[in-house]
Amino acid sequence: MVIWTLAKKDLRLLLGDRRAVVILLAMPVLFILVLGVALGKDQLRISIVDLDKGEYFQSGGFPPQKWSQMFIHDLKQTAPDIEVEILSLEQARQKIDTRKRAAVLVFGPDFSRKMSECSFLEEGINPFNRNGVNLSLLDAELLRDETQGTAAAIIEQAAQVTLLRIILPWMIGRAFEKVGDPAFLDLLAKEKEIPGVVKSFLSSPLVSDKQKSALGAALQNALQGLFSKYNLTGKTWETLTQPKSAARTVSQGSGASAVNDTAASDEGSSFLNRGDLRYQSLVPSYTVMFAFFLVLTVGWLFVAERRQGTLKRLRAAPLSRTQILLGKMVPCFLLSLGQGFFLLAAGKLVFDMKLGHQPFWLAAVVVATSAAAMGLSLLVASMARTEAQVAIYGTLLVLVLAGISGCLMGDPELMPERMKLLSRFTPHAWAMDAYSQLLLRPEPNLLLVAQACGVLILFGAGFVALAWWVLRLD
Amino acid sequence: MEVENLHKSYGDTNALNGVSFQVQEGEIFGLLGPNGAGKTTLLSIVSCLLEASAGQAQIHGQKVDLDNKGLRRQIGIVPQELALYDELSGRENLRFFGQLYGITGTQLEQRIQQILVAVGLDDRADRRVATFSGGMKRRLNLGAAMVHEPRLLLMDEPTTGVDPQSRNHIFEEIRRLNRGGTTVVYTSHYMEEVQALCPRVGILDHGRLIACDQVPQLLRRQDSLIRFRVPTVSSTLRSRLQEIPESRLVEADSRPLEIVCRDVKPTLAQLLAILAELKLEVLSLETEEPNLERVFLGLTGSALRD
Repeated sequence: MVIWTLAKKDLRLLLGDRRAVVILLAMPVLFILVLGVALGKDQLRISIVDLDKGEYFQSGGFPPQKWSQMFIHDLKQTAPDIEVEILSLEQARQKIDTRKRAAVLVFGPDFSRKMSECSFLEEGINPFNRNGVNLSLLDAELLRDETQGTAAAIIEQAAQVTLLRIILPWMIGRAFEKVGDPAFLDLLAKEKEIPGVVKSFLSSPLVSDKQKSALGAALQNALQGLFSKYNLTGKTWETLTQPKSAARTVSQGSGASAVNDTAASDEGSSFLNRGDLRYQSLVPSYTVMFAFFLVLTVGWLFVAERRQGTLKRLRAAPLSRTQILLGKMVPCFLLSLGQGFFLLAAGKLVFDMKLGHQPFWLAAVVVATSAAAMGLSLLVASMARTEAQVAIYGTLLVLVLAGISGCLMGDPELMPERMKLLSRFTPHAWAMDAYSQLLLRPEPNLLLVAQACGVLILFGAGFVALAWWVLRLD
Repeated sequence: MEVENLHKSYGDTNALNGVSFQVQEGEIFGLLGPNGAGKTTLLSIVSCLLEASAGQAQIHGQKVDLDNKGLRRQIGIVPQELALYDELSGRENLRFFGQLYGITGTQLEQRIQQILVAVGLDDRADRRVATFSGGMKRRLNLGAAMVHEPRLLLMDEPTTGVDPQSRNHIFEEIRRLNRGGTTVVYTSHYMEEVQALCPRVGILDHGRLIACDQVPQLLRRQDSLIRFRVPTVSSTLRSRLQEIPESRLVEADSRPLEIVCRDVKPTLAQLLAILAELKLEVLSLETEEPNLERVFLGLTGSALRD
């Protein structure tokens, strides 16, 4: 009863404190709003200079267009998030010089011709090396801004993967065609290790070219049967990687096979980009970060209690130290809960964030995060003696923890591995683990969520124990 | 309340140094001393807020210690600083403090109303305390200590920065409470207040109780003074003045003349008779009767407000 009396009073004071409302509710929404808009569309851009003259030969009507266009087509099809930008060579160099682009892929005039010559045969171009595709052999190059190494490397890898995806099926398809060629059977007959009977058959003048072609076709069919999971005649990655019989059916649905039914659409709409995937990280990041801003509000409340002299009255009243501490914990916890649910609701209503299919577990994460935030708030409040101390130590602590955990960046996944390891020492990282399971995964690992909640509660209990130890009421 | 050989040290500083005294039930006891004399420390110990380094205190026969919740219920404390929630109304403040002592429902609401009337704040009860004047806050500060009807009220300089009207209100309320049976311990460095309110006073200086007695007894320790000016001071006048019983003429080069006496009234009558007899015109005359300020000066050699 007395604890609730204390709690009610503090809740009343906290809710009447405009500063608290701004810090705990308005600021996080504003941060999410600003970052959501400022980050722009969440896309990787690959800039291309296309000087390809398109001198290529077709094999069975393939390729249908010049190879540089085949590259662009494949890139757009397999990675719709990647924006393709076509530049002139002059524009490309200028953008690299002015650091507006980290890297630009240039297809030279002979790109299609060189691609046509790619083959596993001795006389063909072998474009592969240890790093993937040797661009210079294909009359292509990557212009780079050396000051943006990481971004340039990402673009280079995206280009390499796309090139592999168009070159490999092309070369495999051509090699498979060779197997059915009578000239291939002639070559086979010259092999020393071929049994005499076979050699005699293949080199016999009585065997016509027609019969050899039939044999070649039979060999192709046998090979195709042996590698039945692949369509060896397909010259694109999409057709190569599908069984011949299923190619049509699968290809029709292949683009949509990875649709995530929990995560938001990756293409937002309107000025706010409502429903954009970024909000699935931004909203929980700032919900967690600002949960710990409770440190300031509660700290100020504690200090005000000392400054106003009311703490003396509380101590003079028939209350135990435990009752006073519990009387402070309850309103902190309730306020933090309210803040957590408010921000998730704002995430849903304002930014169209998807809440996933586990509302119970989402609530559990809010509760566990509030427990940790309440504990840390009590600890800081117990240690600080003045409002300035609360403001300085509280803000520093909250920002450092948010920085270490990655919440400050709006997405902990952007952090290097070492920082991710270090972040395990912050409650924020555990809260973000749980949120990322629930808000980003179609089938969240509830064991991980429960584990994160448990760790958060342990953090809270640890902070409260420390607060109890350092708290001086006099 | 019984305080026996109470000591309290903060490092090398002795805030209280063997203080002993008693306050009878139903008494208004004044504790007078300059800032830093140890008054607040003493009140903090007897109100179960602070542990003594040595010695002990008892209230209503119960030993004072930090965990004695039962004793706390019998004590009301009016801290030196205002101890109120500015963002709550006067009524809400009283309700909150009442609930801390386990008073609820109709009983609490009636008690709050009584207090609001008593401290003259019933018409402002529902306004935020932040909007109150300093005097109003002081009165509410007193009310907050009374809400649970304590048997012992400990008041630590409750009139600091208070206007005369609010001070009178507070004094009236203290007297009314006392008439109802509440024991009051009132600390102040304003000797006029203590002298006006408390029949018995202890004087504290540098952590020691240097005097503790009924006010008239304390005042009796000091002489009165008559200071006057006449056109000429003849040897006849000097010899006649020295004949006044229980008085002494202060010989000083400067004028006016000063007579120190035990009792002003008879001495003044004789002085005026002598001056009339010698046909000396009185240019100015003033008297200075003993007060606690002078008692303190006499006991410590320094002024009370130093």
